[in-house]
Amino acid sequence: MHHAYLDKYADGDSFFHHLDSRVKFLAAVVYTILVLSLPRDHPAVVVCYAVAPFAVLVWAGIPLWFVLRRILMVSPFVLVLALSCPLYDKTPYPVVFGKISFWLTGGWLRCFTILAKFVVTMLTLFALVGTTRFADLLAGLQWMRFPDVLVMQLGFLYRYLFVLVDQVHHILLARSARKFHPLGFRREMKIAAAMTGSLFIRSIETSQRIHIAMQSRGFTGTFHSLRHTRIVLRDIIFLLGFLAVCVLLHGWVRHIFM
Amino acid sequence: MHMANELLSVPVATGAMAVAGTGLGWICKKVRQELTSEKVALMGVLGAFVFAAQMVNFQLPMMPGTSGHLIGAVFLAVMLVGPHLAAVVLSSVVIIQCLLFQDGGLLAIGCNIVNIAIVPSYVGYFVYRTIVSERKNKVRLFIAAIVACVFAAEAGSALVVVEAIISKVLLVPVGTFLATMAGVHLLVGVMEGLITVAILSYLTAVRPDLIEGMTGEGMFSRKTAILSLVVITVITAAGFSLLASSKPDGLEWSYLERPEQPDFKPLIANDDPRIKSADELHSKIALMPDYTTRGASEEHPVSAGWTSLAGIVGSMVCMGLIWLSAKLLGPTKTAA
Amino acid sequence: MNFAVEIQNFSYSWPDGTKALRQINLTIEHGQKVVLVGPNGAGKSTLLLAMGGFVRGTGKILIDGIEVCPANVKKIRMLLGCCMENPDDQLFMPTLYEDVAFGPLNMGLGAEEVKRRVEDSLRKVGLEAMAHKTPHHLSAGQKRAAAVATVLSMSPKIITFDEPDGGLDPRNRNNLVRLLRELSQTLIIATCDMRFAAAVADRAVVMDNSCIVADGPVAEIFYNGELMASHGLETP
Repeated sequence: MHHAYLDKYADGDSFFHHLDSRVKFLAAVVYTILVLSLPRDHPAVVVCYAVAPFAVLVWAGIPLWFVLRRILMVSPFVLVLALSCPLYDKTPYPVVFGKISFWLTGGWLRCFTILAKFVVTMLTLFALVGTTRFADLLAGLQWMRFPDVLVMQLGFLYRYLFVLVDQVHHILLARSARKFHPLGFRREMKIAAAMTGSLFIRSIETSQRIHIAMQSRGFTGTFHSLRHTRIVLRDIIFLLGFLAVCVLLHGWVRHIFM
Repeated sequence: MHMANELLSVPVATGAMAVAGTGLGWICKKVRQELTSEKVALMGVLGAFVFAAQMVNFQLPMMPGTSGHLIGAVFLAVMLVGPHLAAVVLSSVVIIQCLLFQDGGLLAIGCNIVNIAIVPSYVGYFVYRTIVSERKNKVRLFIAAIVACVFAAEAGSALVVVEAIISKVLLVPVGTFLATMAGVHLLVGVMEGLITVAILSYLTAVRPDLIEGMTGEGMFSRKTAILSLVVITVITAAGFSLLASSKPDGLEWSYLERPEQPDFKPLIANDDPRIKSADELHSKIALMPDYTTRGASEEHPVSAGWTSLAGIVGSMVCMGLIWLSAKLLGPTKTAA
Repeated sequence: MNFAVEIQNFSYSWPDGTKALRQINLTIEHGQKVVLVGPNGAGKSTLLLAMGGFVRGTGKILIDGIEVCPANVKKIRMLLGCCMENPDDQLFMPTLYEDVAFGPLNMGLGAEEVKRRVEDSLRKVGLEAMAHKTPHHLSAGQKRAAAVATVLSMSPKIITFDEPDGGLDPRNRNNLVRLLRELSQTLIIATCDMRFAAAVADRAVVMDNSCIVADGPVAEIFYNGELMASHGLETP
């Protein structure tokens, strides 16, 4: 399980990996806002915004095939909804290339724009999480005054996610070793319920043991935090570069195409 | 059911973030007061359980190839830990889904937290609490679970529709969108209810002591639950009627031209040069020119095909160069 | 001079009535390394839980002279550290560093002191390089060592281990043996593996059927074939 996830790229050694997580988070959010605020039916402009996160991904050494494959995996919902646009907006817009011209409906323009924005914001998200260790991201969130309870919860979830998913893999394996064809809705449901139920019981028992471990190390209900990261020159350089890119894109490039 | 960034407008996304943030903040504060290491451990592991449980799938009847699985709000909220902890657990699930699995965009997190974590937990809980009585009647428990799951799923999906419609990114008419989402989530809710009931029967047989400690009583009284449901229903009804209303909102109505009333002299005509220059200035300097106050749709004749093509090609070339540069500089060390 | 652990007539029954511990009497001196051996279900894990104050029965348990009771819980936790059977239950923070720091932070120590203790503990178990890894990236042997580090950082006087050699291959087992022998604390180790027990400890306490049936030097106890066989064990 742990091999398929972005986690492993987050341990890399590039310029971007060493940036402070708060800086990266801020940049990702701002950039996403900029992309989302682009007009709704202008796909070409959006493509220009893809360059920046693409650059980060490439220079940080994150494999593009991996990123693209994951984007594909999470696209169905957006794809279906984006494809609904051409059904409802049939206003034709001419597309002219000198002598050659054809027509595209407003609906298709919207559709392409939504999809383009989706890809670009996904690339941005990958640029963030691919270069930042989850624990560092959490520390950044804590600094941003996220509630203690939530930060602790995220840490625990992250930690035990892989443990439980491994258990499920084993359970599913056990099921496929002993069940060779569909058994009808009711029985299938019962089996699935039993598997989930036993997983649940194991989870509760695990949590009870964790509770003992926490108590034995003196936990009394308050969370103490360790992290104190500093903003260094590297972060300032990145921020300036980021600002420059934003001004370039939103202040100049955007207007060329509008 | 996860919202993507691109289906939202920036104001809606940030608005939802604010709502989610305040809501979660309040819930976390409440949770903090009664926190023990037992609860901390339980919440953490339950979050992981929700993920893991989603992987246990089974063949759905009549629909070969598709499968059903547990979503978790009602099961958690109602059965185990009450709506507050359930909301926290599910919020953490949503955040992890975004950050680790890229399911749901960065800016959509606010919407997703509201749609998937907060609203279903409370709605599911209130519905459940309303149906179930103090006597532990098993059949009632199971019915309550199914109904609660349906309501929770419907509530969440209705919010998705509302957020999408207000954002005006998609063009699907309210009616169609709502009907589709409501229909799909009816099925989803029933499925989840059935699975929840099946798991509960398994647990009652194998570990009845766990079930004893559950059923979330004592969190809210039945009266509070019913009252909350009534309030929610009233707000929802009012909200929907507003949305479905085809009248322009009050302010616009007062000064826009009204074609059906030729004698009406609008304060400012839509084609007044001042409006035009204001709009131009606004779109030039605004970070979010998309969100114009006048309902005019963007008029961008895509006649200059070359410019757009140039933009796309230019970006591709840039990316190609960047990729080349990375290759030339040598592989970056990524730790295994 | 107090004993490290002093158990007087301690008994405990599970909520459903089954007897888990019957009239346990045991004294352990500071610096001793003791193994608790016995068949499954003999009560070894329960005894360790009782020492840590996680189960309350009848009778008295004193850790370094302090009675184990709700009022003294905080002091007991600082004196006695527990290494659990499954390191996954003990490593619950997103990174190893935070896990090892968890105890000292709860003790209220300052940032500098915590840092020093974490680095010391990690160095002792040989995991300094893995400080920023998530536990699920560690191998079984590394997880075991990491679990020990999380307890070491609290500088307890006594450490209990519940089947620490479980699931370890011979190389990792030997590493663990070496680590345990190097520790200066009083160690109480529950295990089913006789060879491991003999390598680590000097004194053996045999438990069966919720009571202590034998107590003496490892050399004597473990090589008494009859004794071992009668309690479902074997000689190393």
